[in-house]
Amino acid sequence: MTKIKLCGLTRPEDIECANSLKPDFIGFVFYKKSSRYVSFEKAAELKKLLSPEIKAVGVFIDEDIRDVAYLLGEGIIDIAQLHGSEDEGYISKLRSLTGKPIIKAFRIKGSEDAALVNASGADYVLLDSGAGDGKLLDRNLIKDIKRPYFLAGGLSPENVKEAIDEINPFAVDVSSGIETEKKKDPDKMIKFVKTVREEFKKGNTMNNNDSNPARFGIHGGQYIPETLMNAVIELEKAYNHYKNDPEFNRELTELLNEYAGRPSRLYYAEKMTKDLGGAKIYLKREDLNHTGAHKINNVLGQALLAKKMGKTRLIAETGAGQHGVATATAAALMGMECVVFMGEEDTKRQALNVYRMRLLGAEVIPVTTGTATLKDAVSEAMREWTKRIDDTHYCLGSVMGPHPFPTIVRDFQAVISKEIKEQMLEKEGRLPDAVLACVGGGSNAIGTFYNFINDKEVRLIGCEAAGRGVDTYETAATIATGKLGIFHGMKSYFCQDEYGQIAPVYSISAGLDYPGIGPEHAYLHDIGRAEYVPVTDEEAVQAFEYLAKTEGIIPAIESAHAISYAMKIAPTMSNDQIIVITVSGRGDKDCAAIARYRGEDINE
Amino acid sequence: MSNIYKAFENKKAFIPFITCGDPDLETTGKIVKEAVKNGASLVELGIPFSDPTAEGPVIQGANLRALNGGVTTDKIFDFVKELRKDVTIPMVFMTYANVVFSYGSEKFIKTCSEIGIDGIILPDLPFEEKEEFLPDCHKYGVDLISLIAPTSKDRVAMIAKEAEGFIYLVSSLGVTGTRTEINTDLDSIVKIIRENTNIPCAIGFGISTPEQAKKMASISDGAIVGSAIIKIMAEYGKESPAHVGEYVKSMTDALK
Repeated sequence: MTKIKLCGLTRPEDIECANSLKPDFIGFVFYKKSSRYVSFEKAAELKKLLSPEIKAVGVFIDEDIRDVAYLLGEGIIDIAQLHGSEDEGYISKLRSLTGKPIIKAFRIKGSEDAALVNASGADYVLLDSGAGDGKLLDRNLIKDIKRPYFLAGGLSPENVKEAIDEINPFAVDVSSGIETEKKKDPDKMIKFVKTVREEFKKGNTMNNNDSNPARFGIHGGQYIPETLMNAVIELEKAYNHYKNDPEFNRELTELLNEYAGRPSRLYYAEKMTKDLGGAKIYLKREDLNHTGAHKINNVLGQALLAKKMGKTRLIAETGAGQHGVATATAAALMGMECVVFMGEEDTKRQALNVYRMRLLGAEVIPVTTGTATLKDAVSEAMREWTKRIDDTHYCLGSVMGPHPFPTIVRDFQAVISKEIKEQMLEKEGRLPDAVLACVGGGSNAIGTFYNFINDKEVRLIGCEAAGRGVDTYETAATIATGKLGIFHGMKSYFCQDEYGQIAPVYSISAGLDYPGIGPEHAYLHDIGRAEYVPVTDEEAVQAFEYLAKTEGIIPAIESAHAISYAMKIAPTMSNDQIIVITVSGRGDKDCAAIARYRGEDINE
Repeated sequence: MSNIYKAFENKKAFIPFITCGDPDLETTGKIVKEAVKNGASLVELGIPFSDPTAEGPVIQGANLRALNGGVTTDKIFDFVKELRKDVTIPMVFMTYANVVFSYGSEKFIKTCSEIGIDGIILPDLPFEEKEEFLPDCHKYGVDLISLIAPTSKDRVAMIAKEAEGFIYLVSSLGVTGTRTEINTDLDSIVKIIRENTNIPCAIGFGISTPEQAKKMASISDGAIVGSAIIKIMAEYGKESPAHVGEYVKSMTDALK
C-alpha cells in the first residue's frame, strides 16, 4: 500500500485533521527560511497532540547534527529527513548518535543521480522533482532506482493517482498540494488521502496483509486458471486444519528428525572467520540433510499433507534437481506416484540428479518449451495439474506460486531460522548481526529469515544470481533488474520486457535460474526489512572453491552465492559481530558443471 | 455494456480464436476477414505471451512464432484500429494478466475501448482477483469475460451472477488443445449458469469438428475454437486465410 506523508504541518488544527486521516507520516519543517517553519518547542507541543501511530518526520537542511539528534532523542520526531547537502559521514554519525531511521532527500536532475540514490546509506530515500510547479518527476530519470522511495514535489489530490499509476512509489509526500493560501486545507488533505487509498484499493491490492492471508503487502494473490481454484482452496483448508493438528505435527517432526536428520548443525567456520578477519562466521548446514539440501523440509511437510488429503500422486518442478530428488524421495517413502518436470537444459546440467530421481522411482519429464529451464518446468507442472487434480498434489518447491503455496512452503522451511535462533542463543547467548541465504524463488532464504523478521537488529540478506552481471541480459537477479508483474499465480517482481514478456534469465546455478522471486521477499524488499544483493557466476564459483579449500565443505553452487557475499562483508565487520550463512545444499551435483566452467572436462 | 450480446442475437455463435502476428499481422488481418466473411459472430484475438500457462502445445507454438516475428502489444493495438474499419462484429482480446498489468492496466483497457475491443479474456485471472482490472473495465465499457471450469462446482453460481459479456465455459480439464471426446457433464453446469444470469454462454477447449461444435452449441449459446484454427495457420502460414475461411464455413454451417 502506498504510504502517505503530509508535510509542513504547523497548527494544532493540522494535527487534528491528520489524526482523523491517519497518514503514515507527518512532517515538521525545521528550516528557518521556510514559511512552514516550526520551532523545537512548537514541534514538541504538536507532537503531544499527534496520534501515536503516525510517525513524525523532522525536515532539516544542513542542520547542526546535535540538534537533529536532540529532537530524535527527545521523541519530538521519530524520523529525520535530511534535505540539504548532508553526506554519508553525516548520515552514519547521526545513526550512531540515535539509531533512529533517516530519510535522505535527493533532487533528481538527471538519470545519473540514480547511482547516488541507490548507494545512499540512509534507511529511506526521498526523490524531489524540485520544481514545485505541479510537474511530476520524469519517469525515465528514476527508472534505474532500485530501492523503495518517497516521491515528493508537485503532488496534489489531482495528480497523485497518476503518480502512483505511473511510478508506484513506496510513499507519496505532499505539502503545498494540500494548502490554500499557504495554510493546510482540511478538504484538500482529505481528498489527497482518500485518492491514494482508493487507488490502492483499486489497483494494487484488494486487502492488506492482516485481513487477507493471500497477500504480502501488494504481492501474492491467486492468479491461476479457474480450473485450479477449487484445488488451491481445498489445499488451504486442509493446511489450516493440519497445521494445528498435534498428530500431524508429531508425524512431521518425527520425519524431519529421524528421516531427514534434523536439527541441522550450526557450525562455527573458524578457519574462514580467521582468514577473512572480521565477523565471526557460522554455517547453517542444510547440506547435511537427507537428500543433500533444505528442500526436504518442505517436501516432507507437503507430502504428508497430500497423503492426509487422500492424494496418491505428487507432481513437482525442479531446477537444479534438488527439489525433484526430495519429492521423489518422499514419494518413495510414502508409497506415492511421482512425476517431476525439469527443463531440458537443466537435465543436461544436472544429469546426476535426473538419474537419482529415476532411481527413486519417479518419472522425469524433460521440458523443451521456452528457455527449457526452471520457469518452463513450473509452467508445465501447472499445466499438468489442470489436467489431473483429483488424485494429484502439486508439490511446489519454493515460496512462490498462488496462495497458499508461499505460506505453506515458508512455514515448512521456517524450521531453519527457528533452529538458528536456538543454536545461536545456546552458543553465543545472543542473536546474530546478519543472516545470509541465496535467493531464487527464495525458500531457503525465507526459512533463514522468518524467525528473525521481528528482530529488527538482525540484518536479513538475500543473495540473488546475477549470472554474467546485472548490467547484462544474462542475469537472474530479480530484485536488481525486475519490475512488478503477475506470473505463475502471483504478483511479485519479475524479470520482463516493457510489454510484460517474461525474460529468458540466466545463471550458472540451475536452482536460482528463475525470473521471479517469492511474494514475501518482494514485500520484505518493499518495506526495507531485507536486503537483496546480486552475486555473479564468477563470484559464486570462487566462493564454491574457497569454502571447499578453507573448510572442507563443498557447497551447492546456489549456496555459494551467499558464501560469496559473506566473504565481501565479513572483513568489513568487527570481531564481535556474528553472521550466519545458510548452506542450502551440498555441491556434489555441481562438480562436473564447475569443472566445465573452469575449462576442465571430467568424466562423471 | 459492450456489443458482445450482438454476437448471440438470434443465432448460435461461432467464435474463432486467432493469435495475432502468427506468422505476421498482415496475415492475421486476412484470416479475421475470412472468418467474418464465413459467418464468425465474434472474434477472439490472442495477444501472445511468452509463457502461456493455460495453453497446450499448439497455441504455445503460435505465441512463440508471433513473438519471434516481433509482434508487440502496441503493434497489435495499431493493427486492430486499422482492422476495425472493415470488421463490425464484436472482437475481444485473449491474453495473460501480465500483458495487461505491465502495459499499465488503465492505459491498456482505455486503448481497448478506443480501438473497438469489446472484452478481455484472461485465463490466469480467477473470480478472486478480478478487482485487479474490473474498475477500469467498467470505466471504459470493456467486458471482463469470466471463465467457468468443470471443476468450478460450488463456484459456478457465484461467477455467473457477476459475469459480463458472455461466459466462457471450459469444456474439460487441462489446457487448450483439440480432443477426440468431451466427457464433462456440461448440461448441469449450463443449467446453473442459466439460473443465475441472462448473459450468453459459449463453450471452448477441445472443439475441432463440426459435429463437436454442433453438440456444444446445442447445449449452450456458441462454440469457441482455437487450436484447430491455429493448426491450419501453422501448416499454411501466409497461405492460411483461405483455408481458415473454408474451415470456419464448415463450422458455421454446422451451427445453422
